[in-house]
Amino acid sequence: MSGRDPAEPFAPSPPPPGVDASAEAEAELVRAAQRGDALALASLVDRLAPFVGRICGPIALEHGEDAAQEALIALLRDLPSLREPRALHGWARRIAAREAVRHARAARREAARGTDAVAAALPAPGDPALASDVRRVLGALGAEQRAILVLRDLEGLSEQEAATLLEVELGTVKSRLSRARAAFRRRWSS
Amino acid sequence: MSWPEVELDPVVRLRALAAALPHAALEEAVIEAPFARVWSFVDDLERGVPQFEGNVKRLHVLRREGERLWLASEAPLGLSFRLEAVLRPGWCVMHTASGSVQIGMAARAEGAGRTRFAHFEGSRWLGRAAGLLFRGFVRRDLAKLARLAEDAG
Repeated sequence: MSGRDPAEPFAPSPPPPGVDASAEAEAELVRAAQRGDALALASLVDRLAPFVGRICGPIALEHGEDAAQEALIALLRDLPSLREPRALHGWARRIAAREAVRHARAARREAARGTDAVAAALPAPGDPALASDVRRVLGALGAEQRAILVLRDLEGLSEQEAATLLEVELGTVKSRLSRARAAFRRRWSS
Repeated sequence: MSWPEVELDPVVRLRALAAALPHAALEEAVIEAPFARVWSFVDDLERGVPQFEGNVKRLHVLRREGERLWLASEAPLGLSFRLEAVLRPGWCVMHTASGSVQIGMAARAEGAGRTRFAHFEGSRWLGRAAGLLFRGFVRRDLAKLARLAEDAG
């Protein structure tokens, strides 16, 4: 895992690499990749890998790498099903967030069963390597809370967009976000 | 503060790329040689690649602009191709504009002195039916590269 340093915790992030390229140029890249052009696919991988990693890392934490890998493979495998090339990043964001939440939930279920393997993979409380890291704070939140924080505060989605992406009611997003922010700030300052 | 992000290495990225090419055959191997030595055979396209890539007898760099390269290749049976490629440490993808030839290679260090190497080959012209054929080619190439890199130590 690597890190990025936003100016402050809840500021929307800058656009991901590649998004600053003209929309039509990117749409043409997607169309070429959908035709099976290997170099166009390589360019898309260069754009999508950091984008997916930025979403899966904070949501799935220790399982972020597995989630990001599976999300990236799913994106490339299902690329022909993307009808509107200009919707690439919204489509990728939805698949990455769902994959990350799925991995985080599976890890939580395993942890609840108390298996040694999962327990060993989770960060130990007081681990000095994590002590000053935001991961410690995020790890204290549930996967759904981390997902809404990432989508709303890191990715800059509206509450309605986040509700649509996570397939929950708008009111659920509002309350989940409020609780997540409060919990985050409380733990961050503790 | 920093948000925990995930960086996907070149081997994982090549797996994803190959997932979009159902007619291509992807194989991986762990080679008992350090990354720099293994990758030197790919990085030196003209002299290194023909030593292990059975479908490339000769490779000549026509033009280079940063990571992008334009190449002339000679294949067995007297076939010749113009290839376009992207090359950087741990990552190489090349193809003909028509898709008749598609080749990918990626590597990452895996522990002390070992390297995981991924390689795919395929052809849009031949489709999925040629998958078994390409799988054989790729396995042969990986075995040859492993011998070259391990013997060079």
